[in-house]
Amino acid sequence: MNHWIIAPVILPALLAPIIGYVMRHDIVIARIASVAGTIGLVAIAAGLFATAAPGETFVYRLGDWPAPFGIVLVLDRLSALMVLLTSALALIVLIHAIATNWDQKGLHFHALFQFQLMGISGAFLTGDVFNLFVFFEVLLIASYGLMIHAGGRQRMRAGLQYVVMNLAGSTLFLFALGTLYAATGTLNIADLAVRLREIPVEDAAIVRVAAMLLMIVFAVKAALFPVQFWLPGAYSNAPAPVAALFAIMTKVGAYSIIRIHTLVFGPDVPATGDMAGLWLFAAAVVTVAVGAFGVLGARRLMPLIAFSVLGSMGTLMLAVSAFTPGATTAALYYLVHSTFAAAALFLIADLVITRRPGDTLTTLPATVQNGLFAALFFGAAIGMAGMPPLSGFLGKLFVLDNLRDPAEIGWAWTAVLLGSLITIVGFARAGSALFWKSTAFVLPQNTITEDEEKEEGPITHDPATAWEVVPTMAAIGMLAALSIFAGPAARYFELTSEQLFDTDAYVGAVLDNPEGLKPYPSEGYGDEAAAEGYGDDTPAEGHADESQSDEGGH
Amino acid sequence: MELIVATSVGAMTAAGVYLILRLRAFPVILGLALLSYAVNVFIFASGRLAVNLPPVLQYGDAQYSDPLPQALVLTAIVISFGMTAVLVMVAIGAFLESGTDKVDIDPGDEDEEEPVK
Amino acid sequence: MGEGSNLLVIIALLPFIGALIPGWMIRAGRNACATFAAVPTVLALVMLGLLVPDVMRGEVVQARFEWLPQLGLSASFFLDGLGLLFAGMILGVGLLIILYARFYLSGDDPMGQFYTYLLLFQGAMLGIVLSDNILLLLVFWELTSLSSFLLIGYWKHLPEGRQGARMALAVTGSGGLAMIGGMLILGNIVGSYELTDILASGDMIKESDWYLPALILILLGAFTKSAQFPFHFWLPHAMAAPTPVSAYLHSATMVKAGVFLMARMWPALAGTEAWFYIVATVGLITMVLGAVIALFKDDLKALLAFSTVSHLGLLTMLLGFGTTAAAVAAVFHIINHLTFTAALFMTAGIVDHEAHTRDIKRLGGLAKLMPITATIGTIAALSMAGIPLFNGFLSKEMMLEEASHTYWFENPWIVPALATLGALFSVAYSLRFIFHTFGGPVRDDYPHKPHDPPFGMYAAPALLVVFVVAIGVMPFLADPLVAVAASAVAGETLHPHLKIWHGVTPALFMSIAAIGGGIVLLLIHRPLDRLWIAAPRPEAKAIFDWLLAKLVTATRWFTDVTHNKSITCYLAIFAVASVALGFAAWSGGGIAPPTRDLVPVPPLVGLGFVLLIVGAASVVLFHRNRFRALVVLSIIGLMVSAGFVYLSAPDLALTQISVETVTIMLLLLALHFIPKETPKETRIGKRIADGVVAVVAGTGVGALAYAFMRRDVDTISGFHLDNSYEGGGGSNVVNVILVDFRGYDTYGEIIVLGIAGLIIYALMQALLGGPAGRKLRNTDFARDLSKDRHPLMMVVATRVMMPIAVMVGIYIFLRGHNYPGGGFVSGLVIAIALLMQYMASGFAWTQSRQRIQYHAMIGFGVVIAGLTGVGSWLAGKPFLTSAFGYFEFPPIEEFELATAMLFDLGVFLTVLGAVMLMLFSLSRIARYAGQSVNLEPMDYDPADRVKQLEEGRE
Repeated sequence: MNHWIIAPVILPALLAPIIGYVMRHDIVIARIASVAGTIGLVAIAAGLFATAAPGETFVYRLGDWPAPFGIVLVLDRLSALMVLLTSALALIVLIHAIATNWDQKGLHFHALFQFQLMGISGAFLTGDVFNLFVFFEVLLIASYGLMIHAGGRQRMRAGLQYVVMNLAGSTLFLFALGTLYAATGTLNIADLAVRLREIPVEDAAIVRVAAMLLMIVFAVKAALFPVQFWLPGAYSNAPAPVAALFAIMTKVGAYSIIRIHTLVFGPDVPATGDMAGLWLFAAAVVTVAVGAFGVLGARRLMPLIAFSVLGSMGTLMLAVSAFTPGATTAALYYLVHSTFAAAALFLIADLVITRRPGDTLTTLPATVQNGLFAALFFGAAIGMAGMPPLSGFLGKLFVLDNLRDPAEIGWAWTAVLLGSLITIVGFARAGSALFWKSTAFVLPQNTITEDEEKEEGPITHDPATAWEVVPTMAAIGMLAALSIFAGPAARYFELTSEQLFDTDAYVGAVLDNPEGLKPYPSEGYGDEAAAEGYGDDTPAEGHADESQSDEGGH
Repeated sequence: MELIVATSVGAMTAAGVYLILRLRAFPVILGLALLSYAVNVFIFASGRLAVNLPPVLQYGDAQYSDPLPQALVLTAIVISFGMTAVLVMVAIGAFLESGTDKVDIDPGDEDEEEPVK
Repeated sequence: MGEGSNLLVIIALLPFIGALIPGWMIRAGRNACATFAAVPTVLALVMLGLLVPDVMRGEVVQARFEWLPQLGLSASFFLDGLGLLFAGMILGVGLLIILYARFYLSGDDPMGQFYTYLLLFQGAMLGIVLSDNILLLLVFWELTSLSSFLLIGYWKHLPEGRQGARMALAVTGSGGLAMIGGMLILGNIVGSYELTDILASGDMIKESDWYLPALILILLGAFTKSAQFPFHFWLPHAMAAPTPVSAYLHSATMVKAGVFLMARMWPALAGTEAWFYIVATVGLITMVLGAVIALFKDDLKALLAFSTVSHLGLLTMLLGFGTTAAAVAAVFHIINHLTFTAALFMTAGIVDHEAHTRDIKRLGGLAKLMPITATIGTIAALSMAGIPLFNGFLSKEMMLEEASHTYWFENPWIVPALATLGALFSVAYSLRFIFHTFGGPVRDDYPHKPHDPPFGMYAAPALLVVFVVAIGVMPFLADPLVAVAASAVAGETLHPHLKIWHGVTPALFMSIAAIGGGIVLLLIHRPLDRLWIAAPRPEAKAIFDWLLAKLVTATRWFTDVTHNKSITCYLAIFAVASVALGFAAWSGGGIAPPTRDLVPVPPLVGLGFVLLIVGAASVVLFHRNRFRALVVLSIIGLMVSAGFVYLSAPDLALTQISVETVTIMLLLLALHFIPKETPKETRIGKRIADGVVAVVAGTGVGALAYAFMRRDVDTISGFHLDNSYEGGGGSNVVNVILVDFRGYDTYGEIIVLGIAGLIIYALMQALLGGPAGRKLRNTDFARDLSKDRHPLMMVVATRVMMPIAVMVGIYIFLRGHNYPGGGFVSGLVIAIALLMQYMASGFAWTQSRQRIQYHAMIGFGVVIAGLTGVGSWLAGKPFLTSAFGYFEFPPIEEFELATAMLFDLGVFLTVLGAVMLMLFSLSRIARYAGQSVNLEPMDYDPADRVKQLEEGRE
């Protein structure tokens, strides 16, 4: 029994309250603890990643109860990948937040940050839909706290909208889960996968509703049309580092769709197989367009970035909507890419905005280190807009190449290609206004060699310290690495999606309960079991298990 | 009974949805509270209805109501309580900061120039 | 892979590695910077030289590395005749440009940056001509767009530089994206993205149904890059770049990338009707149009820019003809155009650099002031005009020869005629370049007195001019290179023989006509020029800017309308979408007949139901009075709890009612700070619409619930019933599920509560700190408070109740595992008791009487719960594995202890802490808002009264 599987949840969960209570008056200790914890999380995630890489599916039965009756954590390539991604991003963002003193602009930043990590890791690791809901709530409520961190008029109002929207989403999530339980009588993802495949289409109406509602819930998180409206307002008003961390939150929605709608409601399921792909595709195409338009039409930098995030989610979900192993491979590649691209953009934006009055795209005197910021922005922008040499371009090609359905090619390709053209133009305009026009009255400077030298324009703020710049560079560096090592990375993603589409393996791993678990499973369950009532302790070892494993086997 | 439960859920949902579509924070809060009532009953109903069954295990008794949805509802209640509390505070905060308790932000009253920091 | 192929890879990488150097070397001075920028280029050139023999022998040097095999993208390079020709051009001219730029750039320009960009571009360009994988080619293709964007915008303080850069990026970028589509289609047809495979399977491609879309998309890429009509307009604006850049990118190399691509794809795509009519026609139009416009440009660089456009059109047309002879002519003209046009650009740069103007109308007579420059310029220009004994003449002869027997829709005249016209105009503008710049009398109104520049500056163009003459006089020198390159294009071995005299051919007469006509045109240039200026003509840049502006406005409008920050709209859309999609999903599947009978309804329940419905209705109707709405809400909650009781779910009822109590209390406290009334501000129409949405949603949910309540399903909960006692040690199954079977959920749940507490506290602090705090101080909330805030009766009652409530709480906590109750409920009960204390006796008084810190409670609660779970690791069991035992305590009878109860303790503490922290925060705000605080339990203390009476008696 590998206890490390739950470590990504427990570590921050134990650390956060201590930071929140014991260290709440000493920012230094809190910072040390938070950074140490995050580094620890990265290490653990890396370990889990290595563990899952060979392809075995590890199951952690909480409370020592057999699946599907207790809650299980499942570690496979996909969950390991997501946890690693989360921790890496978290470390980058945390360092930025500390270097720029964002964490001091309000209380409990680090506690909330750790809780956020706990929620996200938990959501990625769980093998139980209701538990997924619980951890959605954990990460959401933590995100509320981070979203309104440091207060401020606009941010409070945007925060209120963010909270309301997500509460509505959570309510729908509960409706969906109720429907799902009513239709299947179980909550364990593997067990659901088994039972879904037994439901005939003639009796599928209820469970289909559940599947659809779940998809909408996840779509809200993934910011897909027509439930994407909340994102720009929220992201552009959140503290920039928090917005950078939120880059992973949209991915939680994407992950949930990839996981649930492949494993449980997948295309091979007679009852529900026909739905997800169709609706996702349409939604994704529109989302790409909405994002691109938003980028070109933006008046301010933060909304511009937020809309570019929207567009990237559209592209990502286009790949997901194909529900083929190949397309999912591309989707995973693009997922990792877009996470770091969005983070890089928000981080560099933070460096610039805090040095100029507001983030409007009007021409103002150049900030200190204009050249350096310009270079970083250029890097992040071509990453997001999908220009070489960074991973965005490969990701775009990868996605397009995997959308082979002639019926879809027209729409998908037009959307993605035109979308990225508009995005490129939008970024070019913004960058030119922010970094080029601003130099109009002074001599051009060398963007490459001016790291520390002060330069033109009135220096309203101090130049960024190395620690402030490093996180952004790290995020961009991730894009470069993802591009250079595209082959190995894609290989892992390929294996991941193969494992994802191998439902039987997953079901088998989860539902084959080892002997000697705590309870004495009695033969069969359900109504006739209820009829036996209390006090029957017939130690019929593992009947339930066998019946389960049979189901799991086919 | 099923009909009654279904109707109640429907009624509470309808009222809740109507209220969250109002323009002010407070009715929205009420609406979400109503919705959470509705969804709690909804989940509870997903365990099907049973009357006059013993709440706890006891000798020889045959039937029990489905305990799992009840547990789920308990969790849901607690969570939605926490959420509501936060929502209330955020609403108060938004009101005190901006002087209005409107949930919508009209293009006008968000000045573009204000730095986002 | 032989060592030749290793060389190939190194060549491809060198410029990128080199690009890192200048940025650092600039600190060592401008010369060092230039030198080190030259090093990688020279190295690459030398290595290329080593490969020449192999290629000349007709071999193809190849190198291949996997990059992204899942996509079919490999880092594979190959070098054949065509590649060699272009690679040589790119590196050779690159070297000359580096030399030239060293002298051209002024001291203020950041030179390191310039060379970095230049080498980046060089690398991208080399990549295009060397890559053996069309996806790799796309990568480099887009890289050239990016690096040219940076180079054109190099003088970022000049608006035309910025605009030119953006326009170039937009146009070539869009072409590149179109090409992505084309290349992907091509790859799907062939089943491989390797260029060698694609070139080998030309017939398969031409037969495919996808041929035409692929062709058009790829040509879009080529045309935009090579500034073909109607995409030619970006090139002149790109001339805002420093002249070295214009010479390098916009005449010699980058703009030839499109031509290169057409040549490269020739075996795969050329030879069809579509190819001929698209490519040849566009090329023809571009050639003529460019030549005509060039004649009327006064800016030297603009003149050269349009001449370049015209010559690119010529090349495109030749490739469009699709004959091998035309291919040979094209290859030959590529070389010639490179030599003379690069030289001309540098000459223009020198003139600009010396005379500080490029305006022909302000120049003239420079021949006497700067003879060397004049000579160079004249020779190059004559070659451009196609005068015999210069290389331009040879390739233009071949072009005219090809044109002379080309039919266009059965029409034998149109192509030759237009070709001659183009040639005629090019003669005219070339001669104008010579005579109006260098010829004529010396003027005295130059902005700056011109004279010949230092050797370093004219060395480069001089060298090029040597080629111009050499090839012009001894064409056979170029034979071998043209042969290999042309063979590579045609995909078959060719042996062209380039010579000056072809005998008396139609082409000869066409040339003569062109030259004659050109001279005439130049003579009557002045009146023509006036006509031209008078004539209305579309200004491409204006149109482009207008389109872009319109697009921006449109997108901005769209974004503002859709994302109007109106959360109510978003929620309405959300609700409608959910119902609609839910219904769509439902109708996609069938539904089995009901299996459960309806449960009978006793009248009492009916009454509760009516109450609930009425409540729901009245909340909607009277929600404007917020207090009343709250009361009604609580009634609804009560009915729900009652329903839970009736439906044998006591735990739910208990929790529901206590949670509701706390919620209502918090909302009441909240109402202290926000308006008590909701104004009537929505139009009736919106209210009706919302009503419809609400009713539809409600109906949907209700119907769904009814549907599944009538049908049985086989659930997993039987297991929990069976194992609750033996496995979980509790007979209250619900509670055992909460703390054991699904304890993990509960763990997450209390963490949510803990976070809620933290957020509220942090938020409170932020508010009191910020402007809101000041606002609070200045608002008077006290008005609606009752005079006697702490009535005696209530104080006493709560005081008495307190211990009882605590007892009840503990009791509920302890019995939880076996009977309805548990840590959560008991936590709430005690919290409620404290709330009562607060309401009765005021917060300060209560606060001063209990010392526990709420942060601590939350912290301990969560940690205890967590550690309880971790504790089971000691037993080698998974997280949250419970253990329990029965113990004898002498006074009491047998008593059960379960680790689950410890977990429950965590729950208890967290709940209590969270609720109290929320309360604390609210009251902090209240006190901050200036609400007076009583330190005595009651404002009115009866004891005083007694004292007074006694005093009175004495």
